[in-house]
Amino acid sequence: MTKLFTIVKRQGIIGLWLLLILGFSLASESFFTAQNLVNILIQASTLTIIAVGMTFVLLSAGIDLSFGSIMFLAGVAAGMLTTRGVGLGVAVPTILIIGLLFGLLNGLLIVRLRLIPFIVTLATFYMGRGLGLLLSDTRAINLPEAILQIGSSRILGVPVPVWIMILVVLIGHLILSRTVFGRYIYAVGHSKEKAAKAGLPVNRILIGTYAMGGLCAGVGGLVAIAQLGAVSPSFGLQSEFLAIAAAVLGGTSLFGGKGGIFPGTVVGAFTMQTIQNGLVIVNADPYLHQLVTGAVIFLIVWVDSRQNAKKKSLSLN
Amino acid sequence: MKKQPTLFIIISLLVTIPGCQEPNDRLLIGISFETLQTEYWVASVEAIKAECEKHGADYLVAVANGDANRQFEQINNFIARGVDGIVIAPKDSHTIIPIIKAANRAGVPISIYNRVPASMGHDFVSVVADNYEISLSTVRYMAELAKASGRPHKALIMIGDLGDMNAVNRRRGFDDAVAEHHDVIEVVSEVPTEWNQEKALAGVTNALQANPDINFLFSSSDFLFPSVVSALKVADKYHPIGHPDHVILGGFDGDAMAYRMLQEGYLDADGVQDVFYECQLAVQAIMDALNGKSPEEKTMVDPGFVIHQDNLEQRADQMWGSAF
Repeated sequence: MTKLFTIVKRQGIIGLWLLLILGFSLASESFFTAQNLVNILIQASTLTIIAVGMTFVLLSAGIDLSFGSIMFLAGVAAGMLTTRGVGLGVAVPTILIIGLLFGLLNGLLIVRLRLIPFIVTLATFYMGRGLGLLLSDTRAINLPEAILQIGSSRILGVPVPVWIMILVVLIGHLILSRTVFGRYIYAVGHSKEKAAKAGLPVNRILIGTYAMGGLCAGVGGLVAIAQLGAVSPSFGLQSEFLAIAAAVLGGTSLFGGKGGIFPGTVVGAFTMQTIQNGLVIVNADPYLHQLVTGAVIFLIVWVDSRQNAKKKSLSLN
Repeated sequence: MKKQPTLFIIISLLVTIPGCQEPNDRLLIGISFETLQTEYWVASVEAIKAECEKHGADYLVAVANGDANRQFEQINNFIARGVDGIVIAPKDSHTIIPIIKAANRAGVPISIYNRVPASMGHDFVSVVADNYEISLSTVRYMAELAKASGRPHKALIMIGDLGDMNAVNRRRGFDDAVAEHHDVIEVVSEVPTEWNQEKALAGVTNALQANPDINFLFSSSDFLFPSVVSALKVADKYHPIGHPDHVILGGFDGDAMAYRMLQEGYLDADGVQDVFYECQLAVQAIMDALNGKSPEEKTMVDPGFVIHQDNLEQRADQMWGSAF
């Protein structure tokens, strides 16, 4: 047990993830196989994509509770369009535009009305889901095979959802690490007041982060429905909490200004999916699933907070 | 003076909203649902509305979106509005207690739909499907098919939210039916879904990865079938009945997708909650109470039924998904 804490302390989330892989591999020979690792990648793709969006929002010291509703709304739009014979060439951009517009709406409401992100996105969470339920008449929409093709096709042997995830992670990581916009997000997240005093366009940056978040939620919704083949009225529910958990597990601070997409959020999302996958593979008691997931989140956040406290005291000394 | 147009619009709206019309002598029933997030709930609320209309009653509908406090407030609003009776699908069996007390204090008869209150010491009638018996009968039927095939079967169950008594009872029904047939069925995977389709898809995919020979699958709710079908297709295990690699499939609810899968010959059996019957009982209980008739039993149980390939034609009309 002491060794486990030491490894987690030294290596952080990556250490914990590797430990989980080792543990599940020892528990079941079906776990560490090429096919199952591909499964984890595919299954983690949706969560990773929306967690990338959430990382942008969290880094700016914000929060977005409407991700699941955006996914649902995007899914309903996809269902309505494709079942009416509209081609993927129109349906896919429409989904992305819906996500982007929803994110922009969140950002505009937060900035222009000077409201707390938690409240604004809670309101849009209800509005988005309500609108989706109204449009779908609260009925499940079965999607045509063409959408399922996105979820099951492979390019160069790699499943399309994984390609989309790689693309989103790459773009997100480059924006945060190589662009002025990315650096500004960290600055705003550290302190809005200081960023404003330094002449940074704080409002535009905040709107930009929520727009990025909305866009990622739309892409995540598309990837999820491409695998499910249907949109039910509960689609996307609580996805925002999983995205927050993945980002926080990956070291992104809930208070903004600290964290990153790669490896942080990506490993956070993979860790969560590895737990879900491994517990099913070893046929663990169903009551254990939430318990283990909660314990892992607690462990990593606790270790992280202890390390932060230590760093602070060292810098004070 | 500037406020006058706004005031005029508000008054006009109040007059034109149906709920704000002058009271008439028709009965008014308050219908409260904790959620409308699945087809089952939508079919239920529609059936209750139809029953109210059959009895010549008007109705108000409120949805609490999974918030027990909001549901309590909505019931208080119903009472303040002067409803003659309440039909409620509560969030859970505990948070319904203060709601029953409030209705009892106001002398408004109340029918509890789909859940049994945790305490029986108040005036109410509850209508509930026998989740345990229906899933027991469904899985027994599936097990007989497995036995008839003469091959051993590896089983997977998709479990619902473990905080939901209905999900727990469905799992118990599955376990007991499988235990009766342990000579032909071995449970190799229990997938918790928390009533979440994405989780269900990942869970079934993982289970098939660990046990590629799974050939017996029971879903605790039909609304998880899109995930099941998708995972089986990817694993090349989705074949119609009669195909040598067919996976014996069973579900619970009786929704539209299950009906289609039965028609297309992919689904072997489905435990059906008789929504029409349950809603008829729930509204009738209110009418009886208003006529001073005491219920014979506080909890009325819908025995449900199992629909399968052999009785599909005869019982399809009773399967609510066939009309949805």
